[in-house]
Amino acid sequence: MSVEQIEREFGRLRMNEDGTLGLRASVLNLVAVTDEASAGEITRVVSRLAGRFPCRAIVMISDPDEETANLDIRVSAFCDARGGSGSQVCAEQVEVHTEGPPAHHLQSLAGPLLLPDLPVFLWYPGAFSADSAEFSGMADLADRVIVNSGAAPDHGACLREISGLAQDPAMPAVGDLQWVGLSPWRSLIADLFDPPDRRGELGQIHRVEILHDPRGESRALLLTGWLAASLGWRPESARETDRGREFAFAGPSGEVIVALDPGSEDASLRRVRLYGEELTFQVSRHRELSEAMSTVMRGEDLLGERTVHLGFFDQDIILGEELRFRGRDESYAAALRTVVEMIDL
Amino acid sequence: MAETQVVRQNVLRDEGRLPPVPEPGAMVIFGASGDLTARKLIPALYDLAEGRRLPMEFAVVGISRTEMSHDEFRNRLRDGLEEQRAGSVSEDVWESFSKGLFYLPGDSKKPETYEELKDFLKKLDGERGTSGNRIFYLSSSPSLFPTIVERLGEAGMSREDDGGYSRLVIEKPFGRDLESARHLNGDILRYFREKQIYRIDHYLGKETVQNILALRFSNGIFEPVWNQHYVDHVQITVAEDIGVGTRGAFYEEAGALRDIVQNHVMQVLCLTAMEPPVAFDADSLREEKVKVLKAVRPISEDEVGEAAVRGQYDGGWVFGEEVRGYREEKDVAADSETETYVALKLLVDNWRWAGVPFYVRAGKRMPKKATEISIQFHKTPHTPFSGPDTEGLEPNVLVIRVQPEEGVSLKIGAKVPGSGFEVRSVNMDLLYGSAFMEEAPDAYQRLLLDLMLGDPTLFIRADEAEGAWSILQPVMEGWSKDGHAARYPAGTWGPDEAGELLGHDGREWRRP
Ligand SMILES: NC(=O)c1ccc[n+]([C@@H]2O[C@H](COP(=O)([O-])OP(=O)(O)OC[C@H]3O[C@@H](n4cnc5c(N)ncnc54)[C@H](OP(=O)(O)O)[C@@H]3O)[C@@H](O)[C@H]2O)c1
Repeated sequence: MSVEQIEREFGRLRMNEDGTLGLRASVLNLVAVTDEASAGEITRVVSRLAGRFPCRAIVMISDPDEETANLDIRVSAFCDARGGSGSQVCAEQVEVHTEGPPAHHLQSLAGPLLLPDLPVFLWYPGAFSADSAEFSGMADLADRVIVNSGAAPDHGACLREISGLAQDPAMPAVGDLQWVGLSPWRSLIADLFDPPDRRGELGQIHRVEILHDPRGESRALLLTGWLAASLGWRPESARETDRGREFAFAGPSGEVIVALDPGSEDASLRRVRLYGEELTFQVSRHRELSEAMSTVMRGEDLLGERTVHLGFFDQDIILGEELRFRGRDESYAAALRTVVEMIDL
Repeated sequence: MAETQVVRQNVLRDEGRLPPVPEPGAMVIFGASGDLTARKLIPALYDLAEGRRLPMEFAVVGISRTEMSHDEFRNRLRDGLEEQRAGSVSEDVWESFSKGLFYLPGDSKKPETYEELKDFLKKLDGERGTSGNRIFYLSSSPSLFPTIVERLGEAGMSREDDGGYSRLVIEKPFGRDLESARHLNGDILRYFREKQIYRIDHYLGKETVQNILALRFSNGIFEPVWNQHYVDHVQITVAEDIGVGTRGAFYEEAGALRDIVQNHVMQVLCLTAMEPPVAFDADSLREEKVKVLKAVRPISEDEVGEAAVRGQYDGGWVFGEEVRGYREEKDVAADSETETYVALKLLVDNWRWAGVPFYVRAGKRMPKKATEISIQFHKTPHTPFSGPDTEGLEPNVLVIRVQPEEGVSLKIGAKVPGSGFEVRSVNMDLLYGSAFMEEAPDAYQRLLLDLMLGDPTLFIRADEAEGAWSILQPVMEGWSKDGHAARYPAGTWGPDEAGELLGHDGREWRRP
């Protein structure tokens, strides 16, 4: 299939019965790079995303290790007919299967298929290798690269790699789905210190406990990195404990210990506890996992408590959050830098 | 003592990607047993709480005369919420949210109520950390507004001197005519400064209404033609298919002019006609809106007959359903002359719009629900395609649809395929609403959040409310002398007289 044939096929897909062309509203290009095993899931995410982000989605399914060259292209459109005056929103999807040598030149396939005048988001749902030629070729096409620091087997190493990317001025801005998943937590933790009389406690935090599960290690590290970077804690030492890992920081008013405990069984992040001078703060996932409860205690006294919706963590929603954002995320970059210092200890 | 006092900031909140959360505070609702509280205010607050947009240290205190305990009040609101958000209410979130709902039975005319309220709020500051910040939401009958404001003022609750804020929210209708609006403003300003006052027109909370501004001021291609050089006339339509329903008594007092035109229609007119504001902030935006209102040429009393039409619906059929006439509605007088339809011809006397009529209309029991602005451009000065070839070719029309399906459509001339040069009008629909199909937040949710964050941009300033009344004052006076409203069958676009309003000028209403 040539580029012209693909475009013609998209035209045919949005043709009305009377031969006129249905309307197309598009807000962005999304290029996903994945493998055969995850292709189905990625296509589902894109179709769920289409209602909110009508786009041209290019799903690159590549296997560079095959000997013989193979290229197979499929075209589909998700239309959301909303009734009224023939209104249709289409997300157009091109699935590009490549094997062998062409799989080393993905940008030559993706480039010509992009819609002009719209931003390009490059999404690596799984593991990726930042220093490969293929990655930098694809990154050249993109305005923003979205990765998932929790997808690689070694979260720490992956975060280090992303940190390198984020600091490379030649690279487009980087977003991380694990960081997006952390925003409700960050927001809830920030809320705890909004009342003016509690702000002082921020400088007095001396211990933090984070309960996560092994899948949530990257989130736990990023959360620690964010707290440390925001509150001016300098990483000093790290040690293994019988429950997990402990990091010691030098904070403005003394030592701060952050204990990571991978003992959660049902949620990537389960509970965060912060110990201040007088007060203890906690945000924990409720027994209903979609909800979170925040509490503020003075000793045994409950000073405040509330339950809120924690948000949805489906891939399409998290990815959608990231698609709204443009530009470099300085808080993320600062958190990453701290995480790298922590794992280098 | 060498200790320095530092103002501590919450550094964790110091970044763009975390949504702003209001400061701790308490919202006092006057008229808490009423319809608006249960149907709009509490559901919007619940949504904000669920979505992590309310601080933990937040409380609502409801006041009305009905005797109820806190728990009875909570249960009642829970039922209301269930009706509005069937099936999507989380037990746990409600449990935690409702702990912050309180009720004080009391007559808002009596000073004792305010003493009690004051003590109660003080207690909440200690127990729930509401930090001395207060919002007073007037959701009771408008006749009580001046009394409540006075009592609040006398009790010292409008003052902001111990650090906390005190804000006053006024629901529509803001007065019933120019004089009463001025009085009300005067009454309020005795105790509250303009900065503390938030007058609600929930239309401004609608995402789609805000989009008028986005369309006009974030696109370079519309502004150059948005003036008398290119525009022949403008039509603004706010049509509802429903009748007055159970609100007959209220409607008898109000009528379409007060209920819809004075606020919603005038707001849409302002957003359509205004000059680009320097910034999207409260003063810049409202300044420009007021300039539009000032530029609208007053309709003199003897012109009312030509420039204003009112109508009232008879029985008829709306989308396959037979409906009764206004006079047969519950709580409506059998000989009522209250208008359920208004059409006006307005002229905006400024450089941009000189000579361009703005035809506005609002009505109930129209064929369908539609809010839209249509900008009708001049005909081309000359067309090389003459005679039958251009039959059916009309001037360009740009329509901004606000409701129900948000979008923009443009009517353009295009060649009919084939030999010859036959040109026809084609409607190009651009549905930008569906480009972002996210569920738009409810208007009240947006406005309550802005209110708590202290951003009055989407609220009405005193001079805006008065400006809108000044325009309509002669019409109301003219109508009060001659009591007859023209009749139209339900399910039609208003009385024939409305057609004549444009017919005189050689124009006709667009069918939405
Ligand atoms: N409902 C809507 O959809 C809507 C839309 C836009 C604007 N508004 C405006 O919002 C306001 C409230 O409307 P609504 O429909 O909620 O009215 P409503 O149902 O009639 O409620 C009025 C409330 O005021 C209370 N009240 C009356 N006299 C009182 C007194 N002396 N002291 C204390 N409380 C008193 C009543 O309760 P008790 O009898 O228990 O005292 C009742 O709870 C009005 O200004 C209306 O114009 C309403």
